[in-house]
Amino acid sequence: MIGIFFIGVALMLAGAVASCALRRHAAADRAFIVLVLGGCLTSGAAAVAILVSGARVAVTVPSTVPGGSWVFALDPLAAVFVATICFVGASCVAFGTPYLAHQRAHRPVWYAHTVFAVLIAALTLVVTAQAIVPFLIAWELMAIGSYLLIVFEDEKGDARRAGLIYIIATHTGTLALFAMFAAWGAHASDWSFAVLASATPSLPRGGGVILALAVLGFGFKAGFVPLHFWLPPAHSAAPTHVSALLSGVVIKTGIYGLLRVVSLLGGAPPRWWGWSMLAMGVVSGVLGVLWALAQHDIKRLLAYHSVENIGIIGIGIGIGSLGAAYGHAGIAVLGYAGALLHTVNHALFKSLLFLGAGAVYHATGTRDMEALGGLAKRLPYTWLAFFIGATAIIGVPPLNGFVSEWLVYVGLFRSAQAPEALRLAALGVPALALIGALALACFAKVSGVVFLGHPRTAGAERAHEVPRALLVPMLVLGGACVLLGVAPGLGVLTVVDVAAAVAGVRPNVAVEAIAVVRDSAWVSVVALALLALLAAGWLVRRNLLRRRPVRLVETWACGYPSVSPRMQYTASSFAAPLLSTFGRMSGVVEHRSADAFRTEPVDLVLDRSAIPAWHWVRRTAMRLRPIQQGRLYAYLIYVMVALVVLLAYLGLESRR
Amino acid sequence: MITAAVAASQTGAEAPWSALGSLGLVVLVAPLIPGVATKTRALLTGRRGPPVWQLYADLRKLLRKGAVYSVTTTWAFRLAALAAVATTLLAATIVPLDGRGALVSFTGDAVAFAYLLGLGRFLLVLGALDTGSSFEGMGTSREVSFASLIEPGLFVALVTLGVASQHLSLTGMFGAELWRHWPIVAPSVILVAVSLFVLMLAECARVPVDDPATHLELTMIHEVMVLDHSGPDLAFILYANALKMGVFAALMLDLVVPRVGLADWASAAILVAAMIASGAAVGLVESSMARLRMPKVPLFIAGGTALGLFGLILLLQ
Repeated sequence: MIGIFFIGVALMLAGAVASCALRRHAAADRAFIVLVLGGCLTSGAAAVAILVSGARVAVTVPSTVPGGSWVFALDPLAAVFVATICFVGASCVAFGTPYLAHQRAHRPVWYAHTVFAVLIAALTLVVTAQAIVPFLIAWELMAIGSYLLIVFEDEKGDARRAGLIYIIATHTGTLALFAMFAAWGAHASDWSFAVLASATPSLPRGGGVILALAVLGFGFKAGFVPLHFWLPPAHSAAPTHVSALLSGVVIKTGIYGLLRVVSLLGGAPPRWWGWSMLAMGVVSGVLGVLWALAQHDIKRLLAYHSVENIGIIGIGIGIGSLGAAYGHAGIAVLGYAGALLHTVNHALFKSLLFLGAGAVYHATGTRDMEALGGLAKRLPYTWLAFFIGATAIIGVPPLNGFVSEWLVYVGLFRSAQAPEALRLAALGVPALALIGALALACFAKVSGVVFLGHPRTAGAERAHEVPRALLVPMLVLGGACVLLGVAPGLGVLTVVDVAAAVAGVRPNVAVEAIAVVRDSAWVSVVALALLALLAAGWLVRRNLLRRRPVRLVETWACGYPSVSPRMQYTASSFAAPLLSTFGRMSGVVEHRSADAFRTEPVDLVLDRSAIPAWHWVRRTAMRLRPIQQGRLYAYLIYVMVALVVLLAYLGLESRR
Repeated sequence: MITAAVAASQTGAEAPWSALGSLGLVVLVAPLIPGVATKTRALLTGRRGPPVWQLYADLRKLLRKGAVYSVTTTWAFRLAALAAVATTLLAATIVPLDGRGALVSFTGDAVAFAYLLGLGRFLLVLGALDTGSSFEGMGTSREVSFASLIEPGLFVALVTLGVASQHLSLTGMFGAELWRHWPIVAPSVILVAVSLFVLMLAECARVPVDDPATHLELTMIHEVMVLDHSGPDLAFILYANALKMGVFAALMLDLVVPRVGLADWASAAILVAAMIASGAAVGLVESSMARLRMPKVPLFIAGGTALGLFGLILLLQ
């Protein structure tokens, strides 16, 4: 089975080579798509087979570099991620190739394709590597591949700035990972994950240092607040299919890392860690969606929603580890399962939404929501796909977002009913409800301002539907969202088994989780009943209106005769009441004038904290400038002074 | 691996006749609630007012009319009214309307209840934005703002009852299971009932959050969202709102009056009485206070949430 997986990876890399080698040929795109899609299908099929059988397959490659031999393994936890990476990766490749085709004349498109294929391969290797050295190599390959794609449109200052911020953030994270593995490896004879896991009992404070460093290292990649600041600029600068992959799966490797570390440490981290994860999840969720509401660039808005969803996943991980730490196997499984399923679901609907934003950009040439409107009539299939994604992300039935949020909620409710201090997790329930309701508000804003109403500019007026090659990947992703929503058992059954493995418990002792697997059939009933009721209502209304007059007129403007698209509520005005309720936390600057109202978002971490802090450091460092004279004699004097001080010190030491 | 354990935990379902009967009753009687509210308000302000069955007459009239659609709209507008009814009806099947058990009950169905109402709201909002009208944009903006505050309040109520009843489904939280623990947790449960009344006023767009009787578009929330709906669509939306009030009335009733051992007819009579009483209570509020200024509404909703939160703290201490 691992052989089949590696054949898939090899096919992806062959796609990368083909795109590079055939770059002057007309067939380059076709060869690239066929090879990478084939690779994704092959590796994905291997992962699905592992998920069905629940087995673990591994291969060990002897190595000459320090750190022992290289182990790659496909276990159920890795398989969940490999399957997601392959499905989303394939959709993004299928979308991205025709999307970039028209830029061939003035940009090295082949190079973006090559890097993209390598990036997908690196992603699958990150989640299958089971030793420190290959893991870090794949991790860096992924980081650099993402960087090269973020700065693909490097003639734009924004893209270069986003790339710089990204590369600083990702390497700060990697530094934390180096520290984490160093602290861990010091207690182990070999650097394979299996040996690291067996070193767990000898770790000081139950691996507390390692877990803290893991939050820093993997948290940067996942984008927990306040480590999220690289995400919005990077996602808005990268080409759309790259943003979809970044948001859909690249940031999820941070979640994978956290779950892998937790699993290697035995599934039950110390209580403080669980509470911290829960708190981080709540903060990321609420602030992520609040900041998203303030955005007017569709891709930046979607990027902040990734922060929000990472927050929901964080709540799941927090509940999972708290359940394990307090000895409730069922709650542990529910939390981890919710986190895992939300990871998969978010990968599906967020990449769908990003591709939708890309289709809008393709059709209108702008990402500014205030310049759009009325696209539902002009891009009907894009609107359908975007609508599915929006309904899925707000977590309502009958789509997949509901299923994973339901798992997390059940985990929170079960924690609230626990006898110990664990029940304080009850306060996570209203927080998650607030996140859900704000997400609803935000996607009402996006869908309404971009797709509904009247076009706000001539560009939006002239837009027309994107080619079929761009629609198919979106509708495939949308179909997956519907499938996992109306047949939730598929997802729930799989992730509960994997979550039990992460928590280190046998699935049959997790009573609360078993109830959820059983009742996922009811979720299915609710979803299908809803669709049936809607269909029935449609028929009833058609019958009612059959012999009645149905007129089409202009929208009722309360008697006002000369209506213009400018009178519509804008994205700024739509979000204003909510943002003003949250005051300064929402991070917007308002501009009011007699005929216009506009809000401008600022990132409270990047623009208001990180960059001012950096300027402060630089200013302080400038104070030391006078000692750097650049003259040789000055430095000789410094050396002399240092020597004298040292000698004096040594002399005093020996006297004592 | 887990499939075997799941198969072992299957339980048989009970005969759902009483639940089905209560659902039918709520579906039929719900339009009376806004009528009772209006009548109470009229009587208390010294007017005669329209008859209590006015909404039935309105619905009958609207269902026989044709429809007027805006040329700007798409299928999103056509879906909104249907979704309002479908989601509310489906949410009602999850509530133990007969005081014992619901038609549909499963682990965490409380989440499904809240999120079905959320879906209805989302689609209604999209339908309103579909018209491109500035008035409806204003209404949706306010609706989603206040709904964002109602949702945490509703979930505080749910988690409080979840802790009180040690159950995760509305059947457990509001039905027979709650009454086994009731004497111990009564203070919290009563606080939650009051909190639910506040949330109902906000959720169903009544005074002091919104005024269904106003005809000044600038001050409306819910009403202004449905300006462009007409004929059967408007009927669906008016009906869905009444049904939502009926469901909330049943929820509040379940928290304060036990109906576990009663005969079906007595249980049904209490349910009808509760729906009428909730209408009267809404009317009482509407005639005793004015609509709040928009910036004050979040405080009102937060106050309702705080009641539920206080109940939760009583249980967690």
